[in-house]
Amino acid sequence: MAYEKIKLTVWRGDWGLPSVDPHCLAVLAYCKFSGVPVEVIKTGNPWYSPSGNFPVLQYKGESYTKVSDIFNFLRKENWGSDHELSCKQSADVLAFSAMLEERLLPALLHLWWMDDKTFIDVTRPWYASAIPFPFSLFHPRRKQKKAELRVLLTKGGDYITDAETEAKVYKEAKECLNLLSYKLGDKPYMFGRLPSSLDALIFGYLTPLLKAPLPSNQLQTHLLQCENLCRLCNDILTVFFPAEVRESNESKKQNDEAKKKDGTKSDLAEFPHRRRNIFLAVLFVVAAMTGFAFAHGLIQITISDDDSSMTVKQSIASKSEGRELRSQKHQDILEESTGAGED
Amino acid sequence: MSLVVDAVQATIGASEPWPDDVILYQQYQVEQITLPDYAQCLAVETFLHMCGLRFRVEQRTNAEEMSPSGKVPFIQVGPYLVSEFDPVVGFVSTKGFNLSQSLSDTERSEMRAYISMIENILGNAELYMAWLYPDIAAEVTKPRYGCCYPWPLSWILPWRKQREVRARLEANDWASKTCEEVCGEVRTCCQALSERLEKKKYFFGDKPTELDAMVFGHLYTLLTTILPGGHFTAVVQDFDNLAQFCKRIEDSFFKLAFD
Repeated sequence: MAYEKIKLTVWRGDWGLPSVDPHCLAVLAYCKFSGVPVEVIKTGNPWYSPSGNFPVLQYKGESYTKVSDIFNFLRKENWGSDHELSCKQSADVLAFSAMLEERLLPALLHLWWMDDKTFIDVTRPWYASAIPFPFSLFHPRRKQKKAELRVLLTKGGDYITDAETEAKVYKEAKECLNLLSYKLGDKPYMFGRLPSSLDALIFGYLTPLLKAPLPSNQLQTHLLQCENLCRLCNDILTVFFPAEVRESNESKKQNDEAKKKDGTKSDLAEFPHRRRNIFLAVLFVVAAMTGFAFAHGLIQITISDDDSSMTVKQSIASKSEGRELRSQKHQDILEESTGAGED
Repeated sequence: MSLVVDAVQATIGASEPWPDDVILYQQYQVEQITLPDYAQCLAVETFLHMCGLRFRVEQRTNAEEMSPSGKVPFIQVGPYLVSEFDPVVGFVSTKGFNLSQSLSDTERSEMRAYISMIENILGNAELYMAWLYPDIAAEVTKPRYGCCYPWPLSWILPWRKQREVRARLEANDWASKTCEEVCGEVRTCCQALSERLEKKKYFFGDKPTELDAMVFGHLYTLLTTILPGGHFTAVVQDFDNLAQFCKRIEDSFFKLAFD
């Protein structure tokens, strides 16, 4: 049977995650759950996507860009872990997925793209370095604009201020986390022993929040209190993405070791051109002092004809003569003035 | 709407009983109200009936402008104005009326999830159908929305509202869907509700919950509103248990209320 590979393009990963984007993570996790033979391409170049965003799944000339479409496609092709679920459980999957989109997603968008501190410290630098040059100038801004519209238009309104919208969005998201935590309980996955597409979605939304070096924020703090949700995310990460976890541990170790080694020369490392700068400064000072001395006649250069070589002759004697003359003149003036005073 | 208001309501509201003169404001039902707004109003109305609370419905042409959040319906309880479904449920529970008290934590989180699903799928689908489907927007929604204003306004206000709705649906990727796709979404949503309801009287056993009010508000509106094309009505009618559910709630809460 002619067999064509399913190609999945996602945002590339960081912080020990296979991808940084929630939706890419969800699709990757879903593929891993059921062992779909996908060829994963990790990229930062939005040129490769028809919609300018990832994930994109390509199969037999067709491409799917929305998570729900990708899940539906995989289900149709009989890939996926949702077949084990009863009808009622499938209904629950749909309901909880809708709840994630309705209540949790706006808060995450707000945190990543509209919270000034996170956006400037984490989101913008990451996308600026991940996306190649001409796109990096406008693509992050476009993504931010989209996130802003999504949050403000669906959650806000003409009668509500932005601050109130923010409070409402975070309140809803925290409630949503609580509800998910209740539903999960002590079970390994949402519906018992097998992971479903709902677990994939939750993993996608929550893991970046756990792993990314975010400045402290209320949503992360709240998530850390829901221990079973953290456990779910970490379990999926270690069971289904062992390579990334190992890689991140190794790079972390290397970083630590490098830091230890450089500990003594840390100030040197901070200023890479320190020696050059010192050298230039010394050179400049010497040049300035020589120039000054030259201009004031402290150093004179006379070119003698007999051997046609330059000789430097100091003229301190003549200089001091001049100084004596001047001081005598000064004295005369002083005497005159005192004489005038006595009169 | 804001957290401060919530806190104030929680502390003050609890001490006062449910007053006699509670008013629910909405637009004129026969001439003016649009499909998505009517579904929301009906859901809140059903919820208050289920709680057994007294209130009367006032119809105002400018109900939307009167509402603190710009959305209908809203209730006036003494000095408080509370708008939309979730805040009303929260407010009423501070008065000691809570339909989901007997549920376990898991059941309650399932209930919230299904309410979100209805808001997300049916809410957006109604907005799409009413404002973006060209036939319905031009023939039904816009004339109704502008019916109580004089000429230039009757044209400008619906146009502005349509632009607003379009921007909202573009922001959450609904505007790019086709009519068939939207009907498909509604079908999966109804399928999920139907699976969940099975042959039970209400979604969680014998007693009605917020979810029942929400489902009734939306499905009854879709079933009874006659629109060109009739896409949604056909979809909902395919699910027998949902249609029966709507009939049952109508009989038990609305016939009694009118008698």
